[in-house]
Amino acid sequence: MRLSDAIVQFDRVVFGYNYVEVLHEISFSLNRGEVVGLLGPNGAGKSTSIKLMAGILSPGGGAITVTGLPLPERAIDVKQRIGYVPETAVLFDSLTGQEFLELSGRLHSVEEDLLQSRIQSILETFSLLSDRSSRLDSYSKGMRQKILIGAALLHNPELILLDEPLSGLDVNAAIMIKDLIAALAAAGKTILYSSHVLDVVEKVCNRVIIIHQGKMIADGTSESLKASTQESTLEDVFRNLTNSASVDPGVARIVAALGV
Amino acid sequence: MKTFRLWLNRLLRGRAVTRMLERMGVQPRQYWLLTDLFGELAERREMLGNLGTNKSALKMNAWILGIMTGFMALVMSLAGVAGAISLTLYFTIFAGLTALLMMGMLFSETGNSLVNPAEGLTLAHQPINGATYTAAKLTHLARIVLFLTPALNGIPAFCGLLLHAPWYYPFLHLAATITLSMVIALFCCAVFGWLIRFIPARRLKTAGQVAEIFPWTMFAFVQNSQRLFRNVHLTKWLPAAAGARWGLAMGLLAFSVWAVLAGLRNLSGDYLVRISAILHGPSGAKSKVRRSRTSDLVARVFGGPSSRAGFEFLSRMIRRDWQFRRQLLPLLPSVGALLAISWRHLPSSPFSREFTGAHVVPHFFGMILFVICPLIVYGSDFKGTWLFLLAPAGAFRGFTRGLYAFLWLRLVVTPHLILLALAMWAWGPVEGLLYAAYSLAAASVYLGLEIRLIEGVPFSRQPQPTRQNFLLPLMILGGMVMAIAVAVQYYVIFRYTIAVPAATVVFGIAAWLITRRSLDTVETNIRYDLNQISNEGRVMFSEIES
Repeated sequence: MRLSDAIVQFDRVVFGYNYVEVLHEISFSLNRGEVVGLLGPNGAGKSTSIKLMAGILSPGGGAITVTGLPLPERAIDVKQRIGYVPETAVLFDSLTGQEFLELSGRLHSVEEDLLQSRIQSILETFSLLSDRSSRLDSYSKGMRQKILIGAALLHNPELILLDEPLSGLDVNAAIMIKDLIAALAAAGKTILYSSHVLDVVEKVCNRVIIIHQGKMIADGTSESLKASTQESTLEDVFRNLTNSASVDPGVARIVAALGV
Repeated sequence: MKTFRLWLNRLLRGRAVTRMLERMGVQPRQYWLLTDLFGELAERREMLGNLGTNKSALKMNAWILGIMTGFMALVMSLAGVAGAISLTLYFTIFAGLTALLMMGMLFSETGNSLVNPAEGLTLAHQPINGATYTAAKLTHLARIVLFLTPALNGIPAFCGLLLHAPWYYPFLHLAATITLSMVIALFCCAVFGWLIRFIPARRLKTAGQVAEIFPWTMFAFVQNSQRLFRNVHLTKWLPAAAGARWGLAMGLLAFSVWAVLAGLRNLSGDYLVRISAILHGPSGAKSKVRRSRTSDLVARVFGGPSSRAGFEFLSRMIRRDWQFRRQLLPLLPSVGALLAISWRHLPSSPFSREFTGAHVVPHFFGMILFVICPLIVYGSDFKGTWLFLLAPAGAFRGFTRGLYAFLWLRLVVTPHLILLALAMWAWGPVEGLLYAAYSLAAASVYLGLEIRLIEGVPFSRQPQPTRQNFLLPLMILGGMVMAIAVAVQYYVIFRYTIAVPAATVVFGIAAWLITRRSLDTVETNIRYDLNQISNEGRVMFSEIES
C-alpha cells in the first residue's frame, strides 16, 4: 500500500468511556476507492471507531488522520469532507424531509442551485418526492434512513461512513443502496460500511475488518479470511474468530425462563 | 412592527454584523442558519425547553413580571413622594431585583443550552465550529434580556419620575438595567465556559446542575452577608492607604473582566466534539440489581405488580432524570434555609404557646409537594413514553397507586419518622408523638390534594418554561390557605392538647377520602394523556404549509 493512497489512518488508537477502555490500540488504514466492511459483535467498538473517524469523539490515545488531516485538531475540515450515516436516525422531527436536506447541504456550504438539484434527484431516487413536505416524525424508519443517507451524500464527500445503512430499508431500497455503494466506489469514493448483515458485506465490500472486544482481530479480503480460517462463508469466519457457537446457549435459557 | 422587524433583520444580517461575527471566530452563514433552525424548532414545538426561543412563554413571563414590578413601583414611588424612599434606594431595589431574577433565569437557560445539547447530537458530524454553534445556541439569552428586562423595569423607570427624578431618568434606568442584565448573561456564559474547560465531559451535566443552584445560594448568602462580614472584619485585611485600595479594586476588576473573557473563549473550543460525551456520559456509578422490600410491600398493599411498577419507576426516574433534577435543585437552598430555621427553634415545643418553626413544618411538606407533583410529568427521556401505550388499561389504577405510594412513603412518612425521633427527644414522648402524628396527617392531606397536579404520564413531556406561570395563581392561593392554617394551628389547635389528636383524626380521614378521589383523577389524567400521545400519530401526518 502506498501511503498517499490511505484516506484514513488509525494508528494505535485508544478510546474509553468512563475509564473503561473500549478500543485497545487499534491500527488500520482505508485506501482511496475502497469499500471496507467493519464487522464485530454488539459492543465491539464499531460505532465508536466510526464516530472517531467522523470527528464526533476524541481519541484517548494514538493518532487518527482522515484525508491527511489529523483528528481531533482538524475536525471541522474533516467533517466537510466526509458523509456520515449514524446507526440511529437522529433527526429534527419537526422539519420536513426537504428542510432537513437543505439544512444539511447549507451547513456544508453547497451552492443553492446545486443543492436543490441534488435534493431533487435524491428524493426522486428514494421515492420520497411526494413526502418532501411532510414532517420527519411522520416518516417510517426506512424513509428516515433514506433521508439520512441522502444528507450524507449531498455535499459529495470523499469518505462515506455508513453505520448500519440498510436498517429499516425495504428490499428494493436495500438493493438500490448496494448499487449506489458500488457506483460511488467506482467513482473513487472511499466507503466504510459497518453492518451485521454479513452476506451484504461479503457482496459489497472488497475488504473486511473484524473488531472484537475493542481489538482488531482480522483485516483482509473475504476470500483471504475464508482461506486463512478454512471456512466457506463470511458468517462462519465471523463465528470462528469471535468464538460464537452455532446455536447460542442463551437461546435455550430464554426459552426455559419463558416456560415454553 | 413588521417593517421594524424586517429592518432589524436586514441590519443584523448586514455586512457590519457579519464582519463582527467573523472577528469573533463565528461563521456568519452557519450562525444564521442555526439561529433560524433553533427558532423554527421552537415554533414547531420540538424544542420547548429554551425560554428565549419560546415566544408565548416569553410574553407570559413579561406580562407577569411587568404587572408585579409595576405594582411594586407604584407603591414605592407613592412612598417616595411621602419622603420614605430616596431615588438611589428606589433604583437599587429594582436593579437588585433585575439582577436576581435574571441570574436565576439565565443560569438555568445557559445550563440547559450548553450541558443538555440534545440538538447538538444531530449536528455533531456537521462542519460547524464550536464558536458558531455556541453563539447560535446562546443567542436566545440575548432575547430573554432584551424582552424581560424592559418588561421588569418599564413601569418602574417611569414611576421614578414621581420621585423628583430628571426627565431622562426612565431612559437611564432602562439602559442601566439592560446593561446589567447583559453583563449577567456574559457572566453566566463565562461560568459554563470554565466548567466546560475543566470538568470532564461526562461530569458536565451534574456540574451544570450544581452551577444552577449558585444564584439561589448566593441569594441566601446575601441575606446573611452583613452578619458574616461583621464577624470577618474584612477591613482589617485591606490596605490602609486609599491609593492601594483603589489599586486593589482595579486589579480585581481587571481580573473579573479577564475571567469572563477567557470563560467565553473556552466556549468556542472543541464543543461539538464533546457533545456525545456530554450527553451520553453517565455518572459511572452502576446500580445494584436488588429487590427492594419497600416495593414488595407496595405491591402487596397498594395493588400488585402495576403499583410496584409505578413505585419503582418514580423512585428511579426522580433520582436520575436530568431535567427533573435540574428543576428541583434550585429549591435546595431554600429547603436548607427552612430546615435550619426549624432546627434553631426545635427546643421550643409548639405546645408552649410560643410561635415556632414547628408550626410551619407540616405546611412545608405541602409546599415541597406542590413543587414536585407538577414537575413529575416533565423529563429528559420523554421519547420512552411509547412503553405506556402498550400497557393494558387496567394497569394504570395500580400504577397510579404506586406513584402515590412512593410520594407518601418517601417524601412524607420517612421524614416524619425522623421528625418523630427529634420531637420526642426535644419535647418528650407525648408531645413529640402528638406533633409528628398531626404533621403526618396534615402533610397527607396536602399530598392527597396536590397529587392531582400530576397531569399525565410521569416524565413524558419536554419541560416548558410556561408551566410555572399557570401555577402562579394556585401558588398564591395555596400560600394564603397555608397562612390561615398556620394561624388556626397556633391560636386554636396547639393551645389545647386534646385538639391535636382530634385534628389528627379529622385530617387522617380527610386525607383518606381526598386521596381516593385524587388517585382517580390522576389515573384519568394519565389515560387522557396517553390518548393524546397516541393521537399525535395522526397529527404527525399533517403537511407543513409551504
